[in-house]
Amino acid sequence: MKELLLSLALFLHRSPRYKFAKKFAKDLLFDANNVYKRYFDLTIIFLVVSSVLILIYEVKNPVPSWLDNYDIYVVSFIFAIEYLLRLWVHNDLSEMMIKEYNDSKFLNKEFSLYAVLKVGIIEKLKYMISPSAIVDILAILPAYRPLRILRVFILFRVFKLLRYTKSINQFVDVLVNKKFELLTLLFLLLFIVLTSGIAIYILEADVNKNIDTLFDGIYWAIVTISTVGYGDISPVTDVGRAISILIIVSGIAMISFVTSVIVSAFSERLNELKEYRIVEQMNKSKSFMIICGYGQMTKMFFRQKRKPLDNYVIMDSNIARVNAAKKDGYVAIHEDASSHKTLSRFDAEYCDITILCLTSSDVENIYITLNAKSISRNIKVIARVNDPETIDKFKYAGADEVLLPNLVANTMIYTAIRQPTMYKAIHAILTGKSIANIDEIHVHSTHAIVGKQIENLDFSSNKLLFIGIQRRGKFMFNPPKTEVVQAYDVLLVMGRKISLEYFKSLHEGDIHVKK
Amino acid sequence: MSKNKIAIFGYGNHGKFIAKGLASDGFDVTIVESNKAFYEDAQTNGFNNVLFADVTKDSELKKMNLASFEQLVCVMDDEHLNVFLTLSLRSLFEDSYILSISDSLNVTKKLQMAGANKVIDLYEVSANKIYNLLDRPIATKLLEEFVHNEGAITFKEMLIPKHSFLDGMMAEDVDFSSYGILLVGMIDEELGHAFVFVTAGISHKLDSGDTIVCLGGKEELEAFEKLIAKKEM
Repeated sequence: MKELLLSLALFLHRSPRYKFAKKFAKDLLFDANNVYKRYFDLTIIFLVVSSVLILIYEVKNPVPSWLDNYDIYVVSFIFAIEYLLRLWVHNDLSEMMIKEYNDSKFLNKEFSLYAVLKVGIIEKLKYMISPSAIVDILAILPAYRPLRILRVFILFRVFKLLRYTKSINQFVDVLVNKKFELLTLLFLLLFIVLTSGIAIYILEADVNKNIDTLFDGIYWAIVTISTVGYGDISPVTDVGRAISILIIVSGIAMISFVTSVIVSAFSERLNELKEYRIVEQMNKSKSFMIICGYGQMTKMFFRQKRKPLDNYVIMDSNIARVNAAKKDGYVAIHEDASSHKTLSRFDAEYCDITILCLTSSDVENIYITLNAKSISRNIKVIARVNDPETIDKFKYAGADEVLLPNLVANTMIYTAIRQPTMYKAIHAILTGKSIANIDEIHVHSTHAIVGKQIENLDFSSNKLLFIGIQRRGKFMFNPPKTEVVQAYDVLLVMGRKISLEYFKSLHEGDIHVKK
Repeated sequence: MSKNKIAIFGYGNHGKFIAKGLASDGFDVTIVESNKAFYEDAQTNGFNNVLFADVTKDSELKKMNLASFEQLVCVMDDEHLNVFLTLSLRSLFEDSYILSISDSLNVTKKLQMAGANKVIDLYEVSANKIYNLLDRPIATKLLEEFVHNEGAITFKEMLIPKHSFLDGMMAEDVDFSSYGILLVGMIDEELGHAFVFVTAGISHKLDSGDTIVCLGGKEELEAFEKLIAKKEM
């Protein structure tokens, strides 16, 4: 038996098809970036909605049998498969078995199948009693025909939709934070309901024709304490009315207390929830920018933009500056960019992240740089350096670009004094504010100009000045006219913005598209 | 380069760098400081013309004969002092060219009101650089090399001499790239003393007295400068 299971595990371990299937199922169920997940989710949502609609419709109208069968069997069947898939991918029994087997071989001890299976199966059972798994299994139950009462469980299918909303988790989260207050109130409520329910039963069961059982008493207590007051059961004796007065008053107090606890819990977390949303949104885009610090430099940076920047977030650990940024109309969150927790919330695997460290403190900038690089080398960091002596530290920390405001300004002044005419030209080019933009044309493999000679490109008729080609990291200035443009070249061209745009649009796209 | 006379006010963060660069380029640099430590620092770094003066006093500024300087550069570390100095200089010397450094938008505005001819904003230029790095990384890096004389390729201004073969030719008829250089723009004296880029799309006649700005390898540029002095090609 042991051997058989072990060889089965080994077979599965070696089978690429099994692995692929498992990974596919996992991605389909959990990976937000999976292309099929969307369709899978939409299917589930459709099934849930249709089956609930059928349930409502059939209350007053006869339902054709095919629809009934669809509702009972097809939907349940698909849900059952989903349930099994989730259970299957929750953990990996065969992998655990092999690992344990290898470990015990390594340690020269006897391989115990029982221990592994126990751990694995307990893990599966733990999954089965988690709320979402219970909802899943209840959603399958209506398929059992003989018990028509199970039809009501179709409503549990609606709960499956909760998986697709993040707000419910946040709501639960907020409540969990106030567990102590809420539990205290709940116990108090229970106490009052039980005592007054029992009291009314003892006092009025004989005189009040509406109160027959203890359940009636408790039902009355709850209806009264919640200030709903249906009036189907009402006290008839003076003592009973006195109890009513007591529980109505305490009910009002308690309800307002509960409301205020929940409201305050939400308002405490509101900012956090908003920031969570911002981070989520960022992670959905392919590339974005995190700007650390909202000071002179950041303000200036935003004044530079010629086209609106869409994917960015400003992060500052000073709440006053965050509020200033928000007031200026920028997306800002109050977070400490030097903390690992903050930056690791951003998805560095799937997104191109650029971090600008623009705070006025070198220590903080270095820390943010290190922090970002420790999370992923893929994160691009541009750091501002104030003290020239710390440049080396930034290089060690892994900053992709460093920038000394003092040095940049000094060189500018220096150039302005040394070559005044040139300065004007260079400044115009650098700021891109005038007719002289220097721009890059990135040639991709399907670009129309690939394979063309430089002299056949209509630079001069488009009033552009061709400066050179950057190819594989090397720059060729003013290459010969017979030079042929290759894929992935970057052409450096100077000219007015409109000429550049026009030239780019002219040659964009594949080879077949010509003007 | 001609021996331009430049007065630099302040030998702090910025003054130090600028003074050193200009002095090595052959400029006649005079440093004015009101801080004793910086003043001594400038002297130990080998500058001959270092003046120690209280720049808030007009009488001391008047004594310096500042009108004879080509440019007055205000790069004091204290921004309040810098604005005050700019204002004093403008009121004393109406025709001088004053360049000031600023470290925020508000100061820039104040300096302009105080009468600075050119204000360079510390953060603006840096922020601009970041923007350019993100927007067009390769172009920015290359351009920087061109500007700062770091690589082989650089910009150069050339005056078209009298009787040059270029005199009277149209700019687009000259094949600059066959000389290994590119014409970026020119200061056309006929159109007023403004810098015009070749890409502006206007035809230009080259005349002697015009200044052309070319981009190219250092040797090619020098060779071309010699070449244009000749009458014939």
